[in-house]
Amino acid sequence: MDRNQLVKWLKAPAKMGHKYSLHAVYFCTGCGIIEVPPSITARWDAERFGVLPTATPRQANLFLITGYVSVKTLRAIIRTYEQMPEPKYTVGFGSCPINGGMYWDSYNTIKHLDRYIPIDGWIAGCMPRPEAIFVAVTHLWTLIDKDMADGYKRYRKHYAAYRANQEKVLRGLDWPPLFPVEEQ
Amino acid sequence: MRELELYFGPQHLGMVGNFSITLKVEGDRVVKADANPGYLHRGFEKLMEQRSWIKNFPMVCRINVVEPDSMELAYATAVESLAGIEVPERAQFIRSIYLELARVGSHLFGLWAYSNMLGFDTAAQWAMYHRDLVLDLFEELTGGRVYHIYIWPGGVRRDFPEGFEKRLVETLHSIGGCVPDYDACFFDNRLFYDRAAGIGKITREEAMEMGGTGQALRATGVPYDVRKIEPYAAYDKVPWEVPTREDGDAFSRIWVVRDEMIESVHMIFKLLDEMPKGDVYNRIPNPFKWRIPEGETYVRCESSRGELGLYLVSDGGDKPYRVHFRTPSYPHGLTILEKALVGESISDVGNIMISLYVVAPEIDR
Amino acid sequence: MDRALIDSLSSTFDALRVEVPREDRLTVQAPRDAVMSVLSFLKGRGYDHLHMVSCVDWMEEGQFELVYVLSAYGTGQDSASNPGEEIILKTRIPRELPTVVSSISLFKNAEPYEREIHELFGVRFEGHPRLTPLFLERDYEIPPFRKDFDTRQYVEDFFGSIPPVGEEDQDV
Repeated sequence: MDRNQLVKWLKAPAKMGHKYSLHAVYFCTGCGIIEVPPSITARWDAERFGVLPTATPRQANLFLITGYVSVKTLRAIIRTYEQMPEPKYTVGFGSCPINGGMYWDSYNTIKHLDRYIPIDGWIAGCMPRPEAIFVAVTHLWTLIDKDMADGYKRYRKHYAAYRANQEKVLRGLDWPPLFPVEEQ
Repeated sequence: MRELELYFGPQHLGMVGNFSITLKVEGDRVVKADANPGYLHRGFEKLMEQRSWIKNFPMVCRINVVEPDSMELAYATAVESLAGIEVPERAQFIRSIYLELARVGSHLFGLWAYSNMLGFDTAAQWAMYHRDLVLDLFEELTGGRVYHIYIWPGGVRRDFPEGFEKRLVETLHSIGGCVPDYDACFFDNRLFYDRAAGIGKITREEAMEMGGTGQALRATGVPYDVRKIEPYAAYDKVPWEVPTREDGDAFSRIWVVRDEMIESVHMIFKLLDEMPKGDVYNRIPNPFKWRIPEGETYVRCESSRGELGLYLVSDGGDKPYRVHFRTPSYPHGLTILEKALVGESISDVGNIMISLYVVAPEIDR
Repeated sequence: MDRALIDSLSSTFDALRVEVPREDRLTVQAPRDAVMSVLSFLKGRGYDHLHMVSCVDWMEEGQFELVYVLSAYGTGQDSASNPGEEIILKTRIPRELPTVVSSISLFKNAEPYEREIHELFGVRFEGHPRLTPLFLERDYEIPPFRKDFDTRQYVEDFFGSIPPVGEEDQDV
């Protein structure tokens, strides 16, 4: 721990708390989940970085979107994301959420996930190795430090646009808006 | 008592994979179960109709992330049988060793999921660590940890690297040396027996009329294994046994998995002893201009979850005309699971599902 | 392949085309009305394991081809069938009005396969208890596995029409 850490802890203890205890939602959204069990068990041990899986989204602040997102999963992802308390961070894992990856011409997978929910960082590759998860976590620390992991703020700000995109793909959502949407 | 509808999954700690079941419950008992797949549907078979024969190899392995290798084998054998390509003897042996190694890795993953589900964290951590050792071998052999794309029409991509056999044997010995520990900690544990015996019971007749294969069927005493009844690769070159159990419940299925892993490791040792020298690859035509003669074929192989089939049609073009995978989780997860859940308690849903080894991406494709 | 089975198949049913492409393989081409009776005949002969039901879209001929793959578990006492042999039963139905009788009464595991074919090809199965959507969330004008459904065009038209959000304040 360098000298600055202590100052940071005194200045913004809550932020440092969020940063070093990232609790990930346990949600297997795609095939990227295959590298998550090795990462959280003895050999790679993500707990060194403060990353732990949690059972419910209500207690989580990190959402790892592991792999391709089909239209049906998108509904579950939005619901899970909206249930998480703020501040919350999302990381897209693998090439598929970025731009569709190798399913670029599939009729049932989402091509750009950041058009439906805000994403703070991406891990490219198919499959990214466990080390890549840890690199992403340390990058996320830097972003949190600089207040640049602001996905949840962008979600508030552009909620109307996100909601419009979500409704377009899912043909109407069966739950009320999370934030008030002004009539335009 | 009042009936309630309960949505189990996809975001649920008791659910491994992106899958959901709609349960009708009365108190704690499941009255009716409706499997609700489709969260991972990518339309693989449609995508494969738009890619050339060789470009489909990166596609097929992604159908099942837990054990991609049997998918590669099914597609490669189907292409070989349509195009009339022979596979050298050494490549057959390498394929068998590679597939058995994949089976061990896949079963260890299943063991992780199962023991984690029951709360046996120690066994779960061991299983995941040992699977990682297997993945290290795959990485050395193929360059990839998860997706290998190693089996190719006409053989395998490359021969074993220098000293690989020695490291393979060492790793398998170090995993096999832990079997007594696994037994003491998990398999012979009274708590495991109490949680699994008599749970999710299916009889032999039910399993057969619902298309069960793999450990779902072998746990009811039927020694049905495609490696025996229609041998492919080098499975008919060495002697081996099909482990079975009689009871047909979750306990027997997990024990069948354990015995199968041990049998696979022994089989690898026997195959290594018998392995001939020679080429591992027969040349195929230029893959960019490759056209495969008109025809259709059905091939099958034994994956770690059961029988895997592939129906492949070619219209003489440079792309497949129709691809359809018969994946083992399909009847297990959609027909048998719905039957096996009835009358069980909610806390055993994940237990039964993992003991049947339902892998969601393979159902949805 | 058992010679006696081929003979009894062609003597029991007329209008069957039986081929033996490999020694352990039998291909049977049957008219639509005969499918159920052929399936039940084969089940009685020990071929009690339905691998899958598949469908091929032959668009130029205006037909769908339903494919049933059968083999034997080989546990019956009297069955002379060898589990290493597969029978592929095929039937052609018109593309305009694709209906066929459901085979659930013979093989329980046909249920999800038929549901899938109904969803992805639009083939109706008479007597199927729940032809509800299995995989798909959205509705498609043409069932997506038909040959005239162009998925690349669809992706371009539909997913291309969704605008990015909040790009103006991403300064990184």
